[in-house]
Amino acid sequence: MGPLYLFELASSQARWLELRQSTVASNVANANTPGFKARDVEPFNKVLDGTPVRLAMTSPAHMKLSAAETDTRATAKKDSWEVVHSGNSVSLEQEMVKGGDIGRDYSMNAAIVRSFHRMLLSGAKT
Amino acid sequence: MLDAISSTAISAGPALARSTGMEMTAPAAGAAQSGGDAGFDSVLKQVTTDAIGTLKAGEAASISGIQGKESTRRVVEALMSAEQTLQSAVAVRDKVVQAYQEVVRMSI
Amino acid sequence: MLDSLQASLSVASSGLEAQSTRMRIVSENLANANATGRAAGADPYQRKTVTFDAAMDHAAGAQLVKVKEVGVDRTPFRVEYDPGHPAADKAGYVKLPNVNMIIEMADMREVNRSYEANLQVVKQVRSMLGMTVDLLRS
Repeated sequence: MGPLYLFELASSQARWLELRQSTVASNVANANTPGFKARDVEPFNKVLDGTPVRLAMTSPAHMKLSAAETDTRATAKKDSWEVVHSGNSVSLEQEMVKGGDIGRDYSMNAAIVRSFHRMLLSGAKT
Repeated sequence: MLDAISSTAISAGPALARSTGMEMTAPAAGAAQSGGDAGFDSVLKQVTTDAIGTLKAGEAASISGIQGKESTRRVVEALMSAEQTLQSAVAVRDKVVQAYQEVVRMSI
Repeated sequence: MLDSLQASLSVASSGLEAQSTRMRIVSENLANANATGRAAGADPYQRKTVTFDAAMDHAAGAQLVKVKEVGVDRTPFRVEYDPGHPAADKAGYVKLPNVNMIIEMADMREVNRSYEANLQVVKQVRSMLGMTVDLLRS
């Protein structure tokens, strides 16, 4: 499991975060649509565990995370902070909190990737 | 543009290795042949092929990104891989050139 | 679904557009809250309503929002006794718009809130794109 595994993992998480951001965007845009139910994606841990990881063990030193084809589905939300008689279950406050989480996670992800990238580059300098 | 980078930065390495390597391993040809796959020349060739492949992928991703067909993150990831590969390939090339120069300086 | 971040941007901008339309309608209602008819016994301004609908954007792979229709409120008009009014009918009653200022003001606050939330999404996506490009900067 060389240093490249980290980049694969970070790439998967970035993909998941982007998908989650798009569901938040949909929820916020449809906050006043009658009958619209807020959606969210499954937690990233579940995505990593649940995906049938077909390990391409062609070489022991090379382990590719097949979560690159991450199967993240938007799931209907069961517990919402508010239910309105119009059938809309979007809570703007909840969506803003989710947005904050996404932003922080993405920031950390980018920082890690950037740091590792710089390290690899400086390591290969003559 | 990619061909220019490949030819100057990378291909020089294996070319030098091949010319020096052949002369140096000639005396021990018998022993070297059996362990041919692990030979320095083939390792260098593998590194070069990988490097050129990654660089081409980076170029293709950049073009797709400019055309709006590829997402930002994928383009950035491809470019980072290309950067890392080029850096290590250049480092390898420099070491090979250095070694060649030392060999040339050897008095007979 | 090609790029989730691009999708988020188009979804959020559809939200901004929808809320803008709603704001325009609320403003119209407020401006015409006391607009009676011209002729005797004529109908006054009728309150307008906006209905949204979720639409699937296949290129983006996400659900954006569209204005389904701009309709009218069928609530009966208010009636006031004012025989001197040009729009008074034979019995002296004037029909006034079915606009409730309290409700319109509440709607306006909600529109502002939703607009701000969509704007926040746009800001966040732009920040994420900036972070991505920054990966390459030394």
